[in-house]
Amino acid sequence: MIEELKNTFKSFNEKFSKKNTIAKIRTDNFEKFVQLGFPSKNLEDWKFSDFNRIIFNKFKNININLDQQNKFKFNKYIKEFEHNKIVFLNGFYNEHSFEHENEEKIIFDNLKKGPAYKEHGDNSLNFLNNAFFTDGLLLYVKKGYQCKKPLVIYNVFNTKNNNNFFNQKIIINVEENSKLDILVYSINLNSVPIFINTSNFFLVEKKGLLKLFRINELSNKDLNYNFTQANVMDNSIFENFILSCSSAFFKNEIKCTLQENYSSGFVNGAILAHENLHHELKVNIKHIGQNTKSYQKINSVLSKNSKAIFQGKIYVDSNAQKTNGYQLSKAIILDHNSEFDSKPELEIYADDVKCSHGSTSGSLDEDAIFYLMSRGLNRFDSKNLLIKGFLADAIETITNEEIKKYFLNKLEKKIHEFR
Amino acid sequence: MLNISNLSATIENKKILNDLNLSIKAGEIHAIMGPNGSGKSTLANVLSGKKGYEISGNIKYQDKDLFKLDIEERAHQGLFLAFQYPLEIPGVNTSNFLKASLNAIRKSNGKKEFDALEFLKIVKKKAKELKIDEKILNRQLNVGFSGGEKKKNEILQMSLFEPKMVILDETDSGLDIDALKIVANGVNTLRDKDRSFLIITHYQRLLEYIKPDFVHVLMQGKIAKTGCSELALELEKAGYEKI
Repeated sequence: MIEELKNTFKSFNEKFSKKNTIAKIRTDNFEKFVQLGFPSKNLEDWKFSDFNRIIFNKFKNININLDQQNKFKFNKYIKEFEHNKIVFLNGFYNEHSFEHENEEKIIFDNLKKGPAYKEHGDNSLNFLNNAFFTDGLLLYVKKGYQCKKPLVIYNVFNTKNNNNFFNQKIIINVEENSKLDILVYSINLNSVPIFINTSNFFLVEKKGLLKLFRINELSNKDLNYNFTQANVMDNSIFENFILSCSSAFFKNEIKCTLQENYSSGFVNGAILAHENLHHELKVNIKHIGQNTKSYQKINSVLSKNSKAIFQGKIYVDSNAQKTNGYQLSKAIILDHNSEFDSKPELEIYADDVKCSHGSTSGSLDEDAIFYLMSRGLNRFDSKNLLIKGFLADAIETITNEEIKKYFLNKLEKKIHEFR
Repeated sequence: MLNISNLSATIENKKILNDLNLSIKAGEIHAIMGPNGSGKSTLANVLSGKKGYEISGNIKYQDKDLFKLDIEERAHQGLFLAFQYPLEIPGVNTSNFLKASLNAIRKSNGKKEFDALEFLKIVKKKAKELKIDEKILNRQLNVGFSGGEKKKNEILQMSLFEPKMVILDETDSGLDIDALKIVANGVNTLRDKDRSFLIITHYQRLLEYIKPDFVHVLMQGKIAKTGCSELALELEKAGYEKI
């Protein structure tokens, strides 16, 4: 696959990169990727998700076809709540509307012109993203502006066989005293399996507030790796929630750096992995400033040969006194052939901190089933209510009421479909 | 209403109920008292269908074989157990749960299910009658409820489902006097010639507010003594050892 990818990259870069300097940076990234290859379980960060094996099992080839244009109209917009929108079709910017906002306060650009990002770090999928990304979003919410409605980023896919590999970036800067709520909604309308590799960067400046929510409606053959780096500054808040319930493989990796004093990071999620799904949530929270606060609550339900993983780390820098860090992962495994792996970690170098973590996994509580059945509900409905309640308990952490309600409805539908 | 004959129940090779006989007619209130470990909660669990016991004997409920009914079928046919330790169910809204349960019971009895508005009207009325704060309706089921709130929630369910046969498993334990009155009031309001109660309790206190027709003493898995409500007072003074 790598050899074919080399050819794909060569023709892609010739066609896509307008300047030599840009072509060079992309080539550097690609070479880095080739050196490292797809991540395998030999890497600590991937010990529970052998991506190299997964992609070779699921895909013969991954391909980008720039000639395949997006000649379809997407109109299944979310009706449940009013929102601004940006639509990407098969990885390319299509349209946007900030109808609910003062447009002077929002600077928006797509990344179609193809800037380049130098290689950095050691994440081979990030290198791959830097080499191949075709489009994305660059957005600034100007100082002091509080967006009135959420922004929904629609990633819509409707693709043919020789175009199954998509690399995007979302780069957002919430400036001082400003506020933005985003829902990233990815949907695959076609049955052609796709691999989406996304890198996202967020900066929340002084007293800013960024809420980031994510839900996928991908098929059970799709792969999605989603990398997010959020830097949270003085007195600002980053809130993140992922409802992880579709695609064969879905790994969300979130690095949240609480850079300055009194900043907070909330990274919560619900995983509903049913029928051969493999979902991972990897969170790394770095407390750098003082009086910073982090909170993680992840609830997972697994069934029918599924696997879910939670890797969560709270790192407290020697400077980060008065840190308050909390992490709790709970999983319910509905049958014997599903697996949940958890790796909670604390790494603390300051002495005046309060950190706690916990991880539990088990089956549904028979006493709770008995309680519900004794009230007239049958066993099936009792179990469903418990599963729904368990995941809803994590969704309840969402502080945007409209999106919370939307997610609770989605959850209800998903459970109905699955059971 | 309920006819228990020669009931024995064993769990993990330990015989908890041992040849127990008890008959409850429609409209009667029976109290069962007994020391710790005498089998009171096991009796409640067996009646409501909890799995895990090896059972012998017979129970007729409204002339049907109770053991042929599954847990939810017993609820559909009017059997209600107020739990000693009601379970906390995170993420499940109390009001939604009550509505789902009430509708499941109504549906099985061929009655029309309530829509959200109808239900809310009924449940709020019931809560008001019982002097139960309706705020519990919007909270997650029993999550973070005080001991008293949990028990009041059980009484609210009892009152909502209007069962035929009510079993209260130590509903009075850990209650202050105001909560105790709410529980007693709930029972007394439902008291009816067609409805029976089995009140399991440790203390005579609850029986000051609910006057039972019979008091039984359960010891080592069987009824050791039966009397009228004065028996409870005697037990309070003399303890179980004299029985």
